[in-house]
Amino acid sequence: MNSSGWLSLTVRVALAVAAGLLIGTLLSSALGGVVAVLALYLLSQFAYLLRILRWLRSDQIALAPDLSGPWGELVAMVARLFRRKQFHKQRLLRLLRELRRSTAAMPDGVVVLNPQAEILWFNRTAARLLGFRGKSDFGIRIENLVRQPEFVRYLRAGSYSAPVVVQSSIGQGQERFLSLQIVPYGAGQLLTLVRDVTREARLEAMRKDFVANASHELRSPLTVISGYLETLTQDAEIDPMLLGPLQEMRRQAQRMTQIVQDLLELSRLESSEGPAPVHPIDVASLMAQLRQDVLARTPHPAVVQTRVDSNARLLGEEIQIHSAFANLVDNAAKYTPADGSVHIHWWADEKGGHFSVTDTGIGIAAGHIPRLTERFYRVDPGRSRMTGGSGLGLAIVKHVLQRHGAQLSVKSEEGRGSTFTCHFPRERLENTVQLAVVNSSAS
Amino acid sequence: MQAADISHHTSRRYNHDLESVRSKVLAMGGFVEDQLSRSLLALIDADSSLGRAVASDDCKVNGMELSIDEECSRILATRAPAAGDLRMVVATIKAITDLERIGDECEKVGLIAAKLATLERPADRYREVKHLGRRVQVMVRDTLDAFARLDATSALETARTDRAIDEQYEAIQRQCVADMVADPDSIHRSIETMWAVRSLERIGDHAKNICEYVIYMVHGKDIRHTSLDHVARELAQSALLTS
Repeated sequence: MNSSGWLSLTVRVALAVAAGLLIGTLLSSALGGVVAVLALYLLSQFAYLLRILRWLRSDQIALAPDLSGPWGELVAMVARLFRRKQFHKQRLLRLLRELRRSTAAMPDGVVVLNPQAEILWFNRTAARLLGFRGKSDFGIRIENLVRQPEFVRYLRAGSYSAPVVVQSSIGQGQERFLSLQIVPYGAGQLLTLVRDVTREARLEAMRKDFVANASHELRSPLTVISGYLETLTQDAEIDPMLLGPLQEMRRQAQRMTQIVQDLLELSRLESSEGPAPVHPIDVASLMAQLRQDVLARTPHPAVVQTRVDSNARLLGEEIQIHSAFANLVDNAAKYTPADGSVHIHWWADEKGGHFSVTDTGIGIAAGHIPRLTERFYRVDPGRSRMTGGSGLGLAIVKHVLQRHGAQLSVKSEEGRGSTFTCHFPRERLENTVQLAVVNSSAS
Repeated sequence: MQAADISHHTSRRYNHDLESVRSKVLAMGGFVEDQLSRSLLALIDADSSLGRAVASDDCKVNGMELSIDEECSRILATRAPAAGDLRMVVATIKAITDLERIGDECEKVGLIAAKLATLERPADRYREVKHLGRRVQVMVRDTLDAFARLDATSALETARTDRAIDEQYEAIQRQCVADMVADPDSIHRSIETMWAVRSLERIGDHAKNICEYVIYMVHGKDIRHTSLDHVARELAQSALLTS
């Protein structure tokens, strides 16, 4: 290609020079003829160049000048480059448009925020759910338009691992529940995903109502049944053949009452919003009372020890804390044989307050520990039915601790015993003055 | 070069200060909106503990007012704002007073809800009150939206809805009087209900005031004590002049 190009060029120039020579000789000036022909040739080349320039300036790439030789090739190559660029541009644009269109059509709302939480872009669903107006809302801080205190707190807290659910009355009709989740990306940009969870929230509310109502309704008939069973088992004239079954019925009725009570307590805990109030609780006297309760059981573990290493008072709701601690102590007593021991310990350090219950009971296999606080979760179904637990005790403990910002940790070894520890944050302690060790042992 | 950098920096700080005051006002507004919806819920669901919770949360609104007030004074003292910025600070100082009053009215509604929860509920289960409450809620929300967007047009529209609220308030009042005449046993309940709707009506008035501050902030026109139609005409005229 290249060599043939040179060849044709050389041939052309040679032909022109030859033609010039011929004409020049005829007009008796050989040199003048050559110069004139070469000048003409040069002029024609410049004319081509000018045509190409005009074509490039005109922006009408389809109207390419029809030229031969290297000029024609140049034109073809420029046209091809241009077409390729155009093609890529179109493809990118189409892709971008498709992307925009698909985000806009997403069933979830999307709001893009800059690091100052100012709105950069949102899709149609977000506009509908959050009541945004259009381009005029770009640049406004999102918290100025989505003002629910829960969301403002969530946005400022800066930890976006879980979504936040807020109530919204945008639009006419009923209140809606929106779930807002912030996803940080890039250089401090924030993507906010908005979902309408009204249906889920309603179902959840219905479920809670149902559990509360059903438990409430079950309570009165159960009281009647328990009452009659109590009288019957104490009746001296009853057929001794029936005494065994009657006593079993009474035990099961008691267990059912316990389940209903625990369910009611759980639903109460679930419906109470926000963190627990901060009333000071005297943990030492609470522990003494718990110890008395265990010793009143028959049979009870031989040693029940309390140890108070801090006179720091716990800030919380006494009834709930009592119920959580009692559940832990009760569990320990239930699963510890009569010759075992239960230790209850309260101490405080720089991290906060800690309440632990250690037993020398049967222990729990490691695989069960993560699921212990689930409702009705049973390590060994047969065993717990015998001991009369409701299967809700640890779920109650978990809920109470959550409301107090505390955490439960479980250490256990099968056959050796378990330790349940509640860790309360510092804010939940009234003061942290250390106290001389106060011990008391069971007789 | 360095001087220019510094002035740029301070003006950005200044902008940031103004923006953060606006956000604080709207956060306070959001909290007040929440108080309003909770107090209405307490009233309609006869939830006395929720009503008392609303009443005890009012101190938070007061705290927010104090802190924003202080920040505005600080901006006035250190930045000496002019023109639009000055109007924004002045309007903010006024708006938070009205927001605080709305908070007080919510507190009253909460306390009345706690009282009404112990009384027998009327046959219509406070349907009219609920409707009025809903209207007031929408009005407060639109007011704060207009404040956030600096939207004088929608502020004017929102201010107009106060009239409908007043009318409905009077209708409920008449109904209460009729109830009291028909059934003397309901007098206690009707009087409390009247206090509650009175508070709701006052919330509408305060929201209207805030709308007026928004118009002042945007157009620099003080439209208090002028009829809204007159204001609308004037705004339309000034819009024609500027365009």
